[in-house]
Amino acid sequence: MAELLASGGTLEMVRAVLDNGADAVYVGARGWSRRRAQYEMGDDEIIESARYARSLGKVLRVAFNTLPASQEIPLFLAKAEKFFSAGIRDFILTDAGVMAALSHRFPGVQIHASVGCTIINVEDALFYKEAGATQIVAECRMGLEEMRRLKKEAGVGLEVLVHATTCYTLLGRCTMSSYTRQEWRIDDEGKNHFLGSPNRGGLCYRVCLTEWDQVGKDGEPEARGVILPNTAYFLVDDIPALIDMGVDTIKIQGREYSVPLVGEMVRFYRELIDAYVKDRRAFRLEQWKERMAGIVCARDAERREKTAGLISESLTA
Amino acid sequence: MELITTVASPRELAGTDLAPYDAVCLGSPYCRRVEGNFAEDLTLLREAVSSLRKMGKKTYVTTPAAPRGRDLPHVGRLIEAAGEAGVDAIEVHNMGVLRMLREMRSPLPAHMGAFANVYTHLAAQVMKEYGAVRVRPNAEVSLKEMETVAREGGVEVEALVHGKIPLGVTDKCSLLTEPEETDPKCPAACREEHWLTTRQWVLKTVGKGVLSGRDMCMLEHLPGLVSAGFFVFKIEGLYETAAYRSDIGRVYREALELAVSEAEYKVRPAWADVVKKHSREGLCNGYYFGRTGRRYVGTVLQEAKPKV
Repeated sequence: MAELLASGGTLEMVRAVLDNGADAVYVGARGWSRRRAQYEMGDDEIIESARYARSLGKVLRVAFNTLPASQEIPLFLAKAEKFFSAGIRDFILTDAGVMAALSHRFPGVQIHASVGCTIINVEDALFYKEAGATQIVAECRMGLEEMRRLKKEAGVGLEVLVHATTCYTLLGRCTMSSYTRQEWRIDDEGKNHFLGSPNRGGLCYRVCLTEWDQVGKDGEPEARGVILPNTAYFLVDDIPALIDMGVDTIKIQGREYSVPLVGEMVRFYRELIDAYVKDRRAFRLEQWKERMAGIVCARDAERREKTAGLISESLTA
Repeated sequence: MELITTVASPRELAGTDLAPYDAVCLGSPYCRRVEGNFAEDLTLLREAVSSLRKMGKKTYVTTPAAPRGRDLPHVGRLIEAAGEAGVDAIEVHNMGVLRMLREMRSPLPAHMGAFANVYTHLAAQVMKEYGAVRVRPNAEVSLKEMETVAREGGVEVEALVHGKIPLGVTDKCSLLTEPEETDPKCPAACREEHWLTTRQWVLKTVGKGVLSGRDMCMLEHLPGLVSAGFFVFKIEGLYETAAYRSDIGRVYREALELAVSEAEYKVRPAWADVVKKHSREGLCNGYYFGRTGRRYVGTVLQEAKPKV
């Protein structure tokens, strides 16, 4: 049975996500996950969130899915130990070496290989399984055929993002933002927030979404207002196929969105999944797509505002 | 010391003076459809390896940075052909490809490339178990961190000293308007130069990849690199002119020989002229010093009024 997983940017969002029917929630340890600090949580809040999840019989995962500096790894292990002692068993990571270290230190811990690993083929999945991952997130544009193959051959859990952004590049393989602006900022725990690097610190200035002009060798204009496609999407059509193939986790990203909107997304997918599972033959997509249209509008409006803010932030260097 | 350049195809190889270089890495990892791509056309690969070996050069071949399931059979054939041709190592950007090397029991050592996202010594250690002997850490990794990767990771570390920094790879070509199989602009489009500009920034697009608009230039920092223990240096030659690869190579050969000698190191005006001549958008140091990638850190080649 597919687990519905959604984002917890704040304690409030954690509660909303779980109360609206998610089976699991993920949070980011401040400075360590693929979102900027304002969408991450301190240790106490994380432990409190885990307690709340447990009280509902649900699961909390902690994301440490940025790429740290080698010297920060002891800091990571100390934090992981703290969460492990508080009963947390699920972690989201990207660095294969950190995965190996964590799984050796805490045998039995559940490691999810993040979307930042850019797992695009079955051999990738096997590599991360061998590094200690029990579940992998499929790259956003992976087709259903490849997912089925992965499910059959890789012997790891499969996690699919149903609400996310595809990034202009392959997600996890981009340093455009930090090329335009990066500041190293070390917090009071000793963690560098690598401001401007989504890979290392989570803050991405989304410079791909500014308006580019394309010029040729001698500066001759080739195209104006070039869009580098970085699309926020909702997967709806493929949900039945995903459930049929035995997907392990259906994931909703959304820490940067408002709590009511994320709650609405969770409710939508909870009801859609339940409806399909209850009666597969009677299931019809049309009504769900209509309902999704409203959520898309709200999401697009919030995202536009956020993106504009990030781009102008990158310019005020 | 090893100075390497990258060359995608016979067209890029032709006219490039290889005398300054110890090694050549063949092929483009960005797109299989690049014209004459050594990482795609195994006949061209064999011929190039043969002639480079006769010149006494080390040869490496790269692999696709983002191979989907349908690309893996080709990657398998490439690995086999590379072994038969006698390349010295395979450059790997994708973890699946690294695993394939081990599964196929390939005798070829792996060099982890720019898109392999090596950030920590622990990651390097994991990859070493699959046959990696060298890594090029992700561009965002600072020099100090690279020293740690070398020391604690038990692998050689390759440092980009000159050329455009790879900033991203995708699998849909932004230079085409139709699917790549049918668009008449493919493969001609990426043979030409294309730049993406805004008021503030300039990037170079190669279709499925984005490179920095500025050229990484470590010319004035070579003594520091040498004393920190770096000895594998790369000049990024993909999508540049033969003159670029030749001229820049000569400058760095001379400069590195001076840097490792007992003599005092100074950037010669002739060298400065060459690097500036070959840099349309200016110079930068990437993330080596923990800064914004497009900034230049230094005093000799610092521009009085840098363009963006």
